[in-house]
Amino acid sequence: MVGYFFRRIYLSFATKVFDVPSKLLAFLLFLLLLAIPATRPSSYILLILIISYIYAIFAASWDLLVGRAGLVSLGHALFFGIAAYTSAILSKFYGLPIWATIPLAMLFCALVAVLLGFPSLRVKGPYLTLVTMAFPLILHTSLFAFDPPIGGEYGIAGPPRFFPREFLMGTEFLAEYYLVLLVLFVSAIILYKIANSKTGIVFVSILDDESASKACGINVTKYKLLAFVISATFAGLAGGVYAHSFGALGSVSPGGVLGLTTSFYPVIMTIFGGIGTIYGPIVGAFTLWTLMEFFQFANELRVLIYVSIIVVFILKWPEGIAKFVVKKLDELTEKRELEEREKKK
Amino acid sequence: MAEHKRRKLAAIAFVVLAIAVAAVLTWTYSLGPGESTAFLTKIKKLAVFGSISGSVFALLALGFTLIYGVADVVNMSHGAFYMLGAYAFSVFLTYLGFHPLTNRSSFLLFAALILAAVFIGLVGVAVYRLLIHPIIEDTLSVLVVTIGVTLMLHQIMLLMFGDRNLPVRKLLEGTIKPFGVTLANHEVLSFVLSLSLIAILWIFIARSKIGGAMRAAAQDREVAMLMGINTERLYMLTMAISASLAAIAGVLLSPPAASPVLRDWTYPLVMSFAIVIVGGLGSIKGSLVGAFIIGFAEKAVPIFFPGGSFLKGAIALIVMVVVLILRPKGLFGKRVEAE
Repeated sequence: MVGYFFRRIYLSFATKVFDVPSKLLAFLLFLLLLAIPATRPSSYILLILIISYIYAIFAASWDLLVGRAGLVSLGHALFFGIAAYTSAILSKFYGLPIWATIPLAMLFCALVAVLLGFPSLRVKGPYLTLVTMAFPLILHTSLFAFDPPIGGEYGIAGPPRFFPREFLMGTEFLAEYYLVLLVLFVSAIILYKIANSKTGIVFVSILDDESASKACGINVTKYKLLAFVISATFAGLAGGVYAHSFGALGSVSPGGVLGLTTSFYPVIMTIFGGIGTIYGPIVGAFTLWTLMEFFQFANELRVLIYVSIIVVFILKWPEGIAKFVVKKLDELTEKRELEEREKKK
Repeated sequence: MAEHKRRKLAAIAFVVLAIAVAAVLTWTYSLGPGESTAFLTKIKKLAVFGSISGSVFALLALGFTLIYGVADVVNMSHGAFYMLGAYAFSVFLTYLGFHPLTNRSSFLLFAALILAAVFIGLVGVAVYRLLIHPIIEDTLSVLVVTIGVTLMLHQIMLLMFGDRNLPVRKLLEGTIKPFGVTLANHEVLSFVLSLSLIAILWIFIARSKIGGAMRAAAQDREVAMLMGINTERLYMLTMAISASLAAIAGVLLSPPAASPVLRDWTYPLVMSFAIVIVGGLGSIKGSLVGAFIIGFAEKAVPIFFPGGSFLKGAIALIVMVVVLILRPKGLFGKRVEAE
């Protein structure tokens, strides 16, 4: 009986995942990420991977907003920063547990997205891009109005970590690694499902032709706001996780979570990986962040090399590397199927 | 917008402005003698400093709006050109043999200014031709590539000059005191220089043949190409003009800063996009008006609310958001919804 169930699960899994080469590739990559701790990496490497997963969630949420709904935002750091600050403040100064503060932070992000969405979604095109870029900068400067424990340049020092050190005796990075990987996996699947659901198709129709979608009776504003809120919620998830993993080691500072570069990261990662795919930004974030650490040996030239690589890649493969690989794979399988069919004849 | 509607709007704006001025004046005379003179000094200060920074901001924003209006490129490396301009100015100055104590001829200063502008113009052309031109159809890629260029230039400057802050000299030394407000000669010069450059550019775009080509390409790229305009070369020229304007603004705006930290591209970038959005993207008239609005707003904060100086950076953005909520295409924007 049990064996039968396993067989059923395996078979449905095999037809849904193993027969599609790109999904198989994603599955293998996930297995690889699961297996990385088996090589006993130092906690430094684990930390780098953890940050890359956090940015992967962040970039994937940006991709849902931009690649699907076509609302080019350059201020996604707003939600990342708001969530990081909310979660850090609630857990450090009010003593709430982390499993409660991160959902609260996400909820707060959704609320902010609704409030800011109404005025900012009235504007279009490059106006939207630049007006969204303004919000995190305004918040960044306004934080200096508060007194040091919350505001100021250094922000909130050391919010609590997911797994306290005395509790897990040196394996806390490992536990954190698996936790963040799980969060990434779940949120990637949810985002992918949303992007390919009916709602996701409506988003794409808005991206393709807004007036035509309006003519079809789609409430464009409602769907735009929905995309904005979903994206903000997941960016908030990334921000909350950031506050208790990387932020907990130093501080959650305005420069770190609300700066211009924080807004630029998801843009760069998504375009590098492939826009509109959800898996593209994840690949992009993982590749770029590990690449950045790989160039550690060229200490001074590091960022320069890194940025040059990004620029060259975008000029060479404007559709993004993940999209490019998947397209090649699909072409290969199509070719193989054609050959098989001809053999049968 | 129809002509009569625009006139109506202008009339309303004029009436509102007149009422505001009258209210401020009556309020001033109702104050005591000491208070009223203090308030008048503040107003004078605001008028003088606001118009000076507004004029230089206009120069900065004009480049940003020009390349957007003509080539549809949202150029995120505009701030980097500003930064690079200030750097190039001080480097050229050293090479030309300028010394603050022994050889301080103003001829060298102006030569260095012109050299820096030309050099940054060439950098702009190179960036456009090598990086932006191959992907100009894809707006998002252009955005990312120009962000990449900004980070690259930032890193190159960091490698070349490290933490050494090169001082950017003032073009003119000394101060004058018009209307009881102490002003550096440099600031007066930058006011005059930026306004005259803007006037020259305006005449160039409105009267010359190349300016006509620019306006044509701004209206419709394909039709302009069909009419025999070499859009690639035109865009290169536009980029050169835009980058040199940013460089000149960098040279003019850097010296009054308390510490000459040059490696800052965020401030000019944020300023230029706030201005351009207030005025309406792609509109030259709009960016002039926007520059003065933002310039006055930015100077008003430290003059009237000395305690709220942390808001100095945010005020431009707040003004921008308010304007956008009231008028989603900026004050003079019209060209975006061309479809």
